[in-house]
Amino acid sequence: MNIIEKILFNHSIEPLTTVSPGDIVTVNVDRAIMVDMAALHPEFVDNPPVKPFDPEKISLVFDHYVPSPNIEIANRVNRLRKLVSRWGIKDFYDAGRGGISHVIGGELGWFKPGSLIANTDSHTVATGAFNTLGRGLGTPELINIIATGKTWFIVGETLKVNLNNRIKKGSSAKDIFFYIASLTGDIPGKNVEFAGSGIQTLSMDDRSSISTMCAELSTEFAVFPVDNVLREYMNSAGINDYSAVEPDQNTEYADEINIDMNSVEPMVAMPDRIINSIKPVSDLGTVDIDVAVVGSCANGRLSDIRDVAEVLHGKKINRNVRLTVTPASRKIYMEASRLGYIETITEANGLVTNPTCGACLGGHMGVVGDGDTVISSTTRNFKGRMGSSSARIYLGSARTVAISALRGYIKGDMN
Amino acid sequence: MWVFGDDVNTDLMYPQICYTLPEREKPIHAMEANRPGWASMVRVGDIMIGGRNFGTGSSRPAADNLKNLGISCIIAESVNGLFLRNAVNCGILALEASGIHDAVVEGDIITVDFQNSMITDMVSKRSVTFRKLPSFLMEIIENGGIINVLRAKGLLGDPL
Repeated sequence: MNIIEKILFNHSIEPLTTVSPGDIVTVNVDRAIMVDMAALHPEFVDNPPVKPFDPEKISLVFDHYVPSPNIEIANRVNRLRKLVSRWGIKDFYDAGRGGISHVIGGELGWFKPGSLIANTDSHTVATGAFNTLGRGLGTPELINIIATGKTWFIVGETLKVNLNNRIKKGSSAKDIFFYIASLTGDIPGKNVEFAGSGIQTLSMDDRSSISTMCAELSTEFAVFPVDNVLREYMNSAGINDYSAVEPDQNTEYADEINIDMNSVEPMVAMPDRIINSIKPVSDLGTVDIDVAVVGSCANGRLSDIRDVAEVLHGKKINRNVRLTVTPASRKIYMEASRLGYIETITEANGLVTNPTCGACLGGHMGVVGDGDTVISSTTRNFKGRMGSSSARIYLGSARTVAISALRGYIKGDMN
Repeated sequence: MWVFGDDVNTDLMYPQICYTLPEREKPIHAMEANRPGWASMVRVGDIMIGGRNFGTGSSRPAADNLKNLGISCIIAESVNGLFLRNAVNCGILALEASGIHDAVVEGDIITVDFQNSMITDMVSKRSVTFRKLPSFLMEIIENGGIINVLRAKGLLGDPL
């Protein structure tokens, strides 16, 4: 069995002899994470489970609309807050306390290697960086999981992606993902398992960026192996009670691709989609921009904010550009502040917001208008995603966004 | 019966604006970004046909919005995994049928034969077979969604 099959095997509610593609496995869930979006789903606030299967294994994280952008949402999340006392939830992260669930879950050690996480948000596959299974689920499914502690998965075929060498200077983990996406297209129902000697050169931020973005391939799961980088990260988070999972020797995969990370140039996703829409920035020509955004669970991490600060240091962004930078968590915000990144970005006329999903989903903190051209390090660029459906959203790495903000346009040479 | 293409995404079915609208006002916004006016033409019981990876995108209640618009069944070349779960859990059928997209013509009446797992365009008389859903998922759909199943078991409590 590969890593994914093994973790499902280990979590099966009934003893199995093996797990293979096509099987339906009913599993015990190690942790269920609810985000503030649940408040906007009437089926949840009108029908909450009587009690959770285990209050210690429930997290409630306010991240999408922090702080509340209007009265309607303020009222709805107030209803959701009532759960904290009703259920006795200890892991509650209200506005100002946490950040994006996919990011604080790593910081707080919720994503234990070898474990299985349920979360309502579609970017839950972010957990894969931690050798942890997670996939996005709908709110009704979370109601089921919270009530019973169980859910089901249809086991998909697994694509092995070998990451070799190291990311070249000027490129980012986001570019590695874009390159992978350009090779695979979307792979609904399938899994991705990463391997290869280059993984050891990737930080947890890099891995998280890649695993998070795998949601855009419509994967079931995407997962990294365990190594010293992950073990040291868990150790520094004070987490030692986990059983990481490695693939069996001689595991066969449905398909396998090799990525020479050293050959990957900065890339962008053209407006409206990622699939069949990736181009090297050098093939793009010149695209004038109105808005630049750095943030989200994929690329609002400390290394992304650092990339922005390095590019903008001592300079001003183009006078026609509005730049919004949204750190993904309180911890990242504080580190960015301590390291002077927030001051650098503010000096450059960029706007640094509080931690939230914010502009990525077009909810608040940077909604874009009709005809705006946007370069963003966020997760998704469906038509209308960040506000107006006539806005054109290009996706790129935080570094590509920062350089474009400085120039006022996206263009090939990224140095 | 309405025919859409590949990669119909959740943000089209349930645009951002829907999140804060009253329930009854949500469905009319379905697909307005790429097919304005479509939602107002849908009649209760209509079937929606899609291409590959129908429902790609987020965990938002996109399937619910189509159901509430009156769509009775979704049939696509392939259905996105998250969308399938959401469709089942809200009690709407989402079936995979290879060749469906080119086998039917928009506006025709089609029949879904569960005995023989067969979909037939009643005008062109062309048929394709669909992949059966596992029985435990069909059971959830027949109960009108997971909420009804959980409520019947006494697992749901008072509104917040």
